[in-house]
Amino acid sequence: MSTQVHAALDEGTVREISESLGEPEWLLETRLEALDALDDLAMPSVIRTPGREWTNLHDLDFEGFVDPLNAAENKDQVGPDEAEVLPFAEAVDEHEELLKEHFGSVVDPQDNYLTALSTALFSTGTVVYVPEGVDAEDVKIRTEMNSQSLFNYTLVVTEKSASVTILERQSTGEDVDGERYYSGIVEVAAGENSNVQYGSLQNVDEETYNYTLKRGHADTYATIDWIEGNIGSRLTKSSVETYLKGDSSESQIVGAFFGHGDQHFDVNARVWHEAEHTTADLVTRGALDDEARSVYEGVQDVGSDAWDTNSYQRENTLMLSDESEADASPKLIINNHDTEASHSATVGQVSDEDLFYMETRGTDPESAENMLVEGFFVPVLEEVAVDELRDDLTDLVAARLRE
Amino acid sequence: MATLELNNLHAEVAEEGVDEQILDGVDLEVKSGEIHALMGPNGSGKSTTAKVIAGHPAYEVTEGEVLLHLEDGDFGGAFEIPEDKRTWDLLDLEPNERAALGVFLGFQYPAEIEGVTMTNFLRTALNAKLEEREELFEDEDEHEEEEEEAGYDTSPMEGPADEGEVGVAEFQQILSEKMEQLDMDEKFAQRYLNAGFSGGEKKQNEVLQAAILEPEVAVLDEIDSGLDIDRLQDVSKGINALRDEQGTGILQITHYQRILDYVEPDHVHVMLDGKVAKSGGAELAEKLEDNGYDWVREEFYETA
Repeated sequence: MSTQVHAALDEGTVREISESLGEPEWLLETRLEALDALDDLAMPSVIRTPGREWTNLHDLDFEGFVDPLNAAENKDQVGPDEAEVLPFAEAVDEHEELLKEHFGSVVDPQDNYLTALSTALFSTGTVVYVPEGVDAEDVKIRTEMNSQSLFNYTLVVTEKSASVTILERQSTGEDVDGERYYSGIVEVAAGENSNVQYGSLQNVDEETYNYTLKRGHADTYATIDWIEGNIGSRLTKSSVETYLKGDSSESQIVGAFFGHGDQHFDVNARVWHEAEHTTADLVTRGALDDEARSVYEGVQDVGSDAWDTNSYQRENTLMLSDESEADASPKLIINNHDTEASHSATVGQVSDEDLFYMETRGTDPESAENMLVEGFFVPVLEEVAVDELRDDLTDLVAARLRE
Repeated sequence: MATLELNNLHAEVAEEGVDEQILDGVDLEVKSGEIHALMGPNGSGKSTTAKVIAGHPAYEVTEGEVLLHLEDGDFGGAFEIPEDKRTWDLLDLEPNERAALGVFLGFQYPAEIEGVTMTNFLRTALNAKLEEREELFEDEDEHEEEEEEAGYDTSPMEGPADEGEVGVAEFQQILSEKMEQLDMDEKFAQRYLNAGFSGGEKKQNEVLQAAILEPEVAVLDEIDSGLDIDRLQDVSKGINALRDEQGTGILQITHYQRILDYVEPDHVHVMLDGKVAKSGGAELAEKLEDNGYDWVREEFYETA
């Protein structure tokens, strides 16, 4: 067990964090309420079958590897002049009203145990505010975690007809003894007719447990497109979610993961159709080598008022070893018959016939398999509209194959 | 001048519990520059012969040999083939090693490979073939030394950046030329390997790949099935060019006499029950077209 030299997970610690960020009373209260609620909250839902939880979060010693007052990190938060990209403490100073309106409005701080823990303890974050009609490209948020634990918070607000492309990366810097924990909450409030493209590339070290919840509310004619890349971590529990709240809103969730060693990825893509003429497209592909394990859960929930819904979901996992394990559960819940929807998930292996075909042309077995795996990710990568993210993901896949 | 020689080849499905003999003593010899047609009814072992030559893992050879005889100069004047490395038993080699020595298999049902462009695949394959060939003919002692020297100098990230012997620009030129010869649209080069190709396009693509890899012997498994007449002519032109311009020996498996009007065979063989039952000249194919296989069967089992 790790030695408990950390600051206690108590009211004093939470007050200290809140004070250091210069937060108003209401925000401190929200944190303290989340802290109080911890004992009563459940872990985020995971798929269960009789006798088994596909991802076991209960046995993780969150309080053991949380070191709340050490939040060493390297952070870049940059964006174009037209948009505001603010460290959290500055946002508290300059945009209290905006924060008050949106903080916790998309992701309920008490959604589950881990969101509450994150709300109570987050000490770093970014607020991206894009005013009406502004088109902001190239917002970059890079977090390099150098502490044992880090709680990160991101809020994105786009006003009417605004547009923003955000690229977020998480990595780990200096080695730390023992297990680590990264937690990230992302809230997106996409205003009418606005467009948010949010790409995330997680590549933390393999001693780090990673919990992220990214959720957006899309207003009328708004679009929220997510790209979720998971390469690093010991265990990842990630959920990317859109509530299509306004008529004619749209969302795409594109996911890619590549596990090796004994990594465990539990990735979720979820969309709720709550208005008319909404469209969602969920596409995830992942590869697993060695003893890696993946759990995928996708949800398309079509509400009773969601007339004229289009909703598509597909997930494919490629197993590169006999010891890897994958489970997938694509769920489609339809409460309005005026829906065109599809959902599918497959788990497969590299085809021997494909390999043989390539080998008869002179390709050695290893290169042939590498080409097949890289090719497997292409349909997902083609959906990634952010060039830099696509190139990085491509390189990371190529590098992992050649380790 | 290379010769592919099959001697008394026996093979069965390499699956436990299945001991069905598919090849029952095949003898066949194909030399550079010759065109052979291999005909016969369904299930007679034609496709299996092709797959066994190429090294398909689904078949186990139980008896016999598949030899490739090379002569100095077969891989171009500059490439020296030492005397003790002129005959290879292909059954000892992996499929990609057989390809490196100049054996090509054109598939009846080519694999569709999503996400890998034709250009990328073919250039990778061509460079891999050239590299493997160097390795096969390398002096063993020399080889070890080189491995040691290579050590850890190259990082894994350098893999994709390594251009190989044939660079991108040079390859583009080779590809364009060969595609033009085969009357193929340039847009194919950027499409994913066979993905979404029509049956005819796939077959054309098999011939294109042979043209680029310049094999000593190409085994073409039903390259003519499912082709319309225009494409049949394009494909035939490609096969003739392989023989005429590169001196490739062709073993063409077919059900139909039709393609033989365009690709005139020097030799025609008929397979029955896992053996070559009869061999002859081009006229044999015409006789088969008119009279079917029954007379061959009768003749074969009478004499046997």
